[in-house]
Amino acid sequence: MSLDRSPSPHEGGGWSSPGLTAPLNEGNGRLRGGSPSKKYGDLNGAPGHVTWASAKANSARVTGHPSYQSQNEGFFMRHMRRVSSGLPYLSDRARYAEKEKLGRGRPAGRIDWKELPRRTGLLVSRRRKHVALLLLLVLMITLFFNPSVNHVYRRTSWLGGGSKFVIILGANIGGGVMEWKGPREWAIERDSVRNKKRYAAEWGYEMEIVDMSTKKRYAHEWRESWEKVDTIRNAMKKYPDAEWFWWLDLNTFIMEPTYSLQSHIFNDLSKTTYRDINAYNPLDIKHPPNGTSADVNAPKYVNYLDPESLSPVGDGDPNSINVVVPQDCGGFNLGSFFVRRSQWTDRLLDIWWDPVFYEQRHMQWEHKEQDALEYLYTNQPWVRPHVAFISQRKLNAFPSGACGDDRGVPAGGCKRFQPSDSEEVAKYECGLQGIHYQEKERDFLVNMAGCEWGRDCWGEMYNFRQLSNRLNRSPWEKFKDWLHDAVKGPKPQQGPYLQPGQRQ
Amino acid sequence: MPGMQFPYPRKSSNPAAFTGSRSMPLHQRRNLKNLATYIVGGFTLVFFLLWLFGGSSSTSPTAIAKRIPPGTPEVVIVTPIDPGMSSSQKEKIMENRNDYASRHGYATFFPNTTDYDLMPGVPRSWSTVPALRHAMTNYPHSSWLWLLSSTALIMNSRESLRTKVLDPRVLETKMITDKPVVPPDSVIKTFSHLRGERVDFILTQDREGLAGSSFFVRTGDWAKFFLDAWFDPLYRSYNFQKAEEHALEHIVQWHGTVLAKLALVPQRLVNGYMLGAGGTGDEGAYQEGDFVANFHGCAKDPARDCEAEMGPLMSRWREMRDHERR
Repeated sequence: MSLDRSPSPHEGGGWSSPGLTAPLNEGNGRLRGGSPSKKYGDLNGAPGHVTWASAKANSARVTGHPSYQSQNEGFFMRHMRRVSSGLPYLSDRARYAEKEKLGRGRPAGRIDWKELPRRTGLLVSRRRKHVALLLLLVLMITLFFNPSVNHVYRRTSWLGGGSKFVIILGANIGGGVMEWKGPREWAIERDSVRNKKRYAAEWGYEMEIVDMSTKKRYAHEWRESWEKVDTIRNAMKKYPDAEWFWWLDLNTFIMEPTYSLQSHIFNDLSKTTYRDINAYNPLDIKHPPNGTSADVNAPKYVNYLDPESLSPVGDGDPNSINVVVPQDCGGFNLGSFFVRRSQWTDRLLDIWWDPVFYEQRHMQWEHKEQDALEYLYTNQPWVRPHVAFISQRKLNAFPSGACGDDRGVPAGGCKRFQPSDSEEVAKYECGLQGIHYQEKERDFLVNMAGCEWGRDCWGEMYNFRQLSNRLNRSPWEKFKDWLHDAVKGPKPQQGPYLQPGQRQ
Repeated sequence: MPGMQFPYPRKSSNPAAFTGSRSMPLHQRRNLKNLATYIVGGFTLVFFLLWLFGGSSSTSPTAIAKRIPPGTPEVVIVTPIDPGMSSSQKEKIMENRNDYASRHGYATFFPNTTDYDLMPGVPRSWSTVPALRHAMTNYPHSSWLWLLSSTALIMNSRESLRTKVLDPRVLETKMITDKPVVPPDSVIKTFSHLRGERVDFILTQDREGLAGSSFFVRTGDWAKFFLDAWFDPLYRSYNFQKAEEHALEHIVQWHGTVLAKLALVPQRLVNGYMLGAGGTGDEGAYQEGDFVANFHGCAKDPARDCEAEMGPLMSRWREMRDHERR
């Protein structure tokens, strides 16, 4: 240049050439250094309105995109500059249209599809990508942990599948007709109903509470205790979109509400259930089905049944399973079982009760429809291919005292047993013949069956409820309890019965 | 001169684009890349939707079993034979069925009534139920089973069963709707709106009740249910007066899943009784030209002799058959 000496460092910093230190907002889009203002006088004596910076700014304007941001005065200047430079599309067109009007640019309004990827690529500059990813992460977190969105996800039949399940709870047993319903009965009912309701609400299942009071139409000589069948049929009518119907007796408690039915049982039905009655056969049912007379020389059913009825696992397809029933020490247990909506199920529910059967057998069938189902399974071959059994501990664990005492599991759990150690396995609650609830293995549901005879229903319900609450504490509660125990010693367990002077 | 500080002339700051040995020009490659992105995106979307909405597979065993192999007989004619029958009588009956079956491509099945395990003291007529189940096992792809008792004769073999009664449209015209299933006054009546395709059980009534000597059952899961339920030991041990026929009437009235698949047709269509056979009025009696003649009750009544009663009509049938052949 025509300086005869190099410019000395200036107080404003930077090169003492005037255009370099001028603030941006003075020249937003406007020529900087266009017409010289009086402020910037001649440092070198010449009318210096053609400086390097102004010439650069000129050329930047003409070519349409600023190639080098020499000024960076603070965050907002940068930000604003980025905003303006990030919309080359519109600013381009506006300038072209304004200045030249030769129709060179495309008319405003028509979107250039071919140019779209490039434009979006330009929009997504590196820093913008980071911000977008961060926003996406925050959105995902809010979605997953937002309870209402979670609930909608769990309920819809094609996402979570919750609305396909209906929990039918038989409450108000007897209804106080034959016996008084005292405070204990009310308390049991309250706890049981609350537990199921919470479970259904969490996973989006439907819930149906059925009144099992003794009704005249179910009185003796008519259809006593066959209400289960009728209520399942009514529930099928009431929930036409549901697929599986889960009957629960009142004396049950869901110990692990974090297990969903889908993940616990239904996502892998072929592994969680077994169809071959010979695997665990407390009733000693013959398979294939035998003849009906006791005559050993009589020709058996096997000579005329089709291969599917004769096969111990039906057709082997989990989609043909229509009933999932647990077996306890004495046979089928209908305290907690699943029924799928299907034509086969309609027929089963229809044939389950028949006056001819009832008249001949109701004195023998102590457990009523449970024994009737066992009878149908044994004697009518069409039933077998569609019934699957499930290990009792998976769905219907008993407390100690029902079906004998708890044999426990060995240290290390049941996994250490090989399939061939059947004698060893029989000593513990392992495998298909494991019946009793195991706290360490975190079994799903407890059915306090038969507690009315000789055991304490309310006590058991209370204890299992406390146990479930303790097993499913949140980490914060665990920490608080640990702290309390460390400082003050373990809290004494409170029993189910009020001490004198205590209020509930 | 600008750039004099450099020892050699500078290249221009906008170098020419070097296309080199690329086969495609730049803009074509870019377009292709964009196209590829769109295609991949499209496929991903399609697969995602399929995964989301894909239901259970349709290759279940029952679906595969539905593919009927060629040459399968459409109907299996089941006639349980009492081993105590004379061999000439047996031959005549088998001849009668085989002739009809060969004309229309049906199959026949002649089990002995002693082949099946009935409880001791149970009438042999109960064997019709396991006989039908057996026929279903032997002919798994046939659509229909026709039980025709050994006291009946097929007289007029011109029409096939499909055009006579099994075709859904024909069935809808022939069905008797809204009739008490057990005459005269059962409160359970046949359905008034039943589509022919839904019917799995076709039978007739005689004057006393349901006629269990000539009826049709469609093979399938419903038939398994129906036959196994009918054959339940508790029905046999109940000692119904008319054995399996009374049991049938009971089932039909007490179980809606059976009634929903039942169609009644006029008696003379498939089960015309011979006059004097008892249990029929004039509208159910066989007349010359009818399809089936049934000497109902001749086997159960010890005073009657089936062979002798069926003799004349059997010769008549032979006459008609030989006349047609000529």
